[in-house]
Amino acid sequence: MGKIRVLVAKPGLDGHDRGALVISQALRDHGMEVIYTGLRQSPVQIAQAAVQEDVDVIGLSSLSGGHKTLFPKVIDELKKRNAEDIPVVGGGVIPSEDIPFLIDKGVKKIFTSGSSTEVLATYIKELINPEKITPAPKKIAHIGIAVNSIDHSLPFYTDSLGLELEAVEAVDSEGVKVAFLKIGESRIELLEALDDSSPIKAFIDKKGEGIHHVALEVDNISDRLTKLKSEGIRLINDEAKQGANNSQIAFIHPKTASGVLIELSQHEEGSEN
Amino acid sequence: MSYKSDDNNQLDNWKKSVDSTIKRFPERKDTFTTSADIEVDRLYTGEEDSFDSELGYPGQYPYTRGIQPTMYRSRFWTMRQYAGFGSAKETNKRFRYLLEQGQTGLSVAFDLPTQIGYDSDDVMSEGEVGKVGVAIDTLQDMEQLLDQIPLDKVSTSMTINASAAILLCMYIAVGEKQGVPSKKLTGTIQNDILKEYIARGTYIYPPKPSMRLITNIFEYCQQNLPKFNTISISGYHIREAGANAVQEAAFTIANGLSYVDAAIESGLDVDSFAPRLAFFFNAHNNFFEEVAKFRAARRIWAKIMKEHYKAKDPKSWKLRFHTQTGGSTLTAQQPDNNIVRVTLQALAAVMGGTQSLHTNSRDEALSLPTEDSARIALRTQQIIANESGVADTVDPLGGSYYVEELTDKIEIEVNKYLDRIKEIGGAVQAIEEGYMQREIHQNAYEIQKRIEKEEEIIVGLNKFKLDEEVNPDLLKVDEALEKEQIQSMESIRQKRDQNAVNAALADLKEQAKAADSNLIPYILNAVKVYATIGEISNVMRDEFGEYAGI
Repeated sequence: MGKIRVLVAKPGLDGHDRGALVISQALRDHGMEVIYTGLRQSPVQIAQAAVQEDVDVIGLSSLSGGHKTLFPKVIDELKKRNAEDIPVVGGGVIPSEDIPFLIDKGVKKIFTSGSSTEVLATYIKELINPEKITPAPKKIAHIGIAVNSIDHSLPFYTDSLGLELEAVEAVDSEGVKVAFLKIGESRIELLEALDDSSPIKAFIDKKGEGIHHVALEVDNISDRLTKLKSEGIRLINDEAKQGANNSQIAFIHPKTASGVLIELSQHEEGSEN
Repeated sequence: MSYKSDDNNQLDNWKKSVDSTIKRFPERKDTFTTSADIEVDRLYTGEEDSFDSELGYPGQYPYTRGIQPTMYRSRFWTMRQYAGFGSAKETNKRFRYLLEQGQTGLSVAFDLPTQIGYDSDDVMSEGEVGKVGVAIDTLQDMEQLLDQIPLDKVSTSMTINASAAILLCMYIAVGEKQGVPSKKLTGTIQNDILKEYIARGTYIYPPKPSMRLITNIFEYCQQNLPKFNTISISGYHIREAGANAVQEAAFTIANGLSYVDAAIESGLDVDSFAPRLAFFFNAHNNFFEEVAKFRAARRIWAKIMKEHYKAKDPKSWKLRFHTQTGGSTLTAQQPDNNIVRVTLQALAAVMGGTQSLHTNSRDEALSLPTEDSARIALRTQQIIANESGVADTVDPLGGSYYVEELTDKIEIEVNKYLDRIKEIGGAVQAIEEGYMQREIHQNAYEIQKRIEKEEEIIVGLNKFKLDEEVNPDLLKVDEALEKEQIQSMESIRQKRDQNAVNAALADLKEQAKAADSNLIPYILNAVKVYATIGEISNVMRDEFGEYAGI
């Protein structure tokens, strides 16, 4: 698939285009092709441009208060051209009580003052190409078990259960030593605290040995984090960080997932599995 | 700092100017004191017998410390709140309310169709009538807007640019009907088209005929409205579009120099129009930088007008300015926090020596201000003026190592930009090449990235957030207004003398073709017979063409 094509337009007479210009630039930096119409575009001109340029999405910006008239007009003009499948998103100075009206008229989403360009870019990628960006997690990558001592716990898993030990690795950033045990397409990870400041130590002190977290294998971890954040999900890590076994990881707060600590994990290209 | 020994002479000059100023504008109190009864002097300076020619004394070249000898000890700055929404009648009510509340000057916001020369029933106006300001189609709307407001007593500032000539003529016509001769009218028209191409977007014609209209206004006003400020050269919108403090000052001054050049080229003497040039700056949050920006801008302008243009009238050297607090610094999140931002920004404007001030309302990131919010904004200025004591001595930050150093640095950086723009061929050329627009946009994008990376903290936006935002009450512009405005226009079209309108428009067309005639008297004639703003603008659109943007 080629680049996502975006038409950024300023309907009406409003001349404030700082927001429209900043967003155009940010979307370009996200690899999209952006066509900016310039000022004072009528709904007819905007719909024509969208069709001619064969765009995937239209972004409308208004700061003058004309949005309730102008945004629905753009959608009407798209309908007249059988182009109502081009999604329209809006932004600018738009009071929150006007948003339901605009959504009802067919605007997909309104981004108000203070919205982040990251969230907008992720939203557009998602909108145009839902499966590609943040498909459901593929599998359970591993189950993490907090143990007092890997040496002490390991024989049960390898000898009694007969699982294959792949590697033992220290992850200094988390203050843990990890033993990887292969089980089908997933793994069991035994986690031992390296020092007193390790979260594993805190976990065991509070709850004793046991299941510490469940890791889900995902693609596009950073887009997914931005999306979760925009949905108000509580994250422990806003951005992905380096995890064990050449992976990018981030944790979701257990309060969000009924008491289970969930790790998102993305394997770098070229790594095993 | 460079100290010279001719201090006594300069000091005597300042003392003399204080004496003559006080005769005309007595100080607010016989003695000023702090809360602990410590007497506050009119002015504080460095060591006795030391004198810094870069600073000068207040009211003296190069005006770093202010343009008046006594500054706010005589009179506070003019508290001028920008207002206007919906119909002329409604706006008139808000104006009279603000005047009752102690506001000392009017400031009119016009809706976008009025600013771009479209009638309310033009297809381009759909959805915009009465939204960001008052809708004016004909003289009748202006009569209603200014109903019972005595134009010989109240000064009016109009934020109008591409159609400034038309609105100014309407103001003159209303004055005549009130029995106020044009010589007595006071106020300001923004009339700064160059920043419209750069940042604000309400242009109509290409730069050349636009510059002609502006110099026509200079000339007409010099003869007929000697007390009217013919232009307000605006950095405000340049800053809002994303410029930093240095760019704001530099691009504004560069635009100002283009107007001076155009007027001189059209045959005017520099001292005939320069005293009526006014400026309009922004005030953002970096307190000392803002104070230094105002002081540096004054010094740069004074030097250029005196040394480069050889202006002889000291009034031509003085950079007088209005300030508005920074709309783009306000957040939609936790809007009450904006009151604090506005207070800091307003204080910076006062410490920087502004002549008039608009304080923004807390809800402006959400919609047009409600009456409650507009009142708090005005009260903010009144508290600074009456309770803080900062107005009791002239230029209280003068001599601060930090402020003086920042003032010097900003002067240097602004001059670098002025040199660069000169190399390009002046502000008009730089705008046509998109130079200033690119500089501003680049900075706007950097700011956005810094905010998103939390390298720049905006309280309530990327730090110290609330889980749930409370929605404040917002002002609603009645959607029925557009229809009513169109109906009232139609009734005027039926009542007016259509032959007189046709004749006035034909005259205007003929004069527009002749490059050397002054169009203002012809626009005034058309306005008086109730030609609409769209009709008058269209005549000029036909002759001048329209600017297409870059």
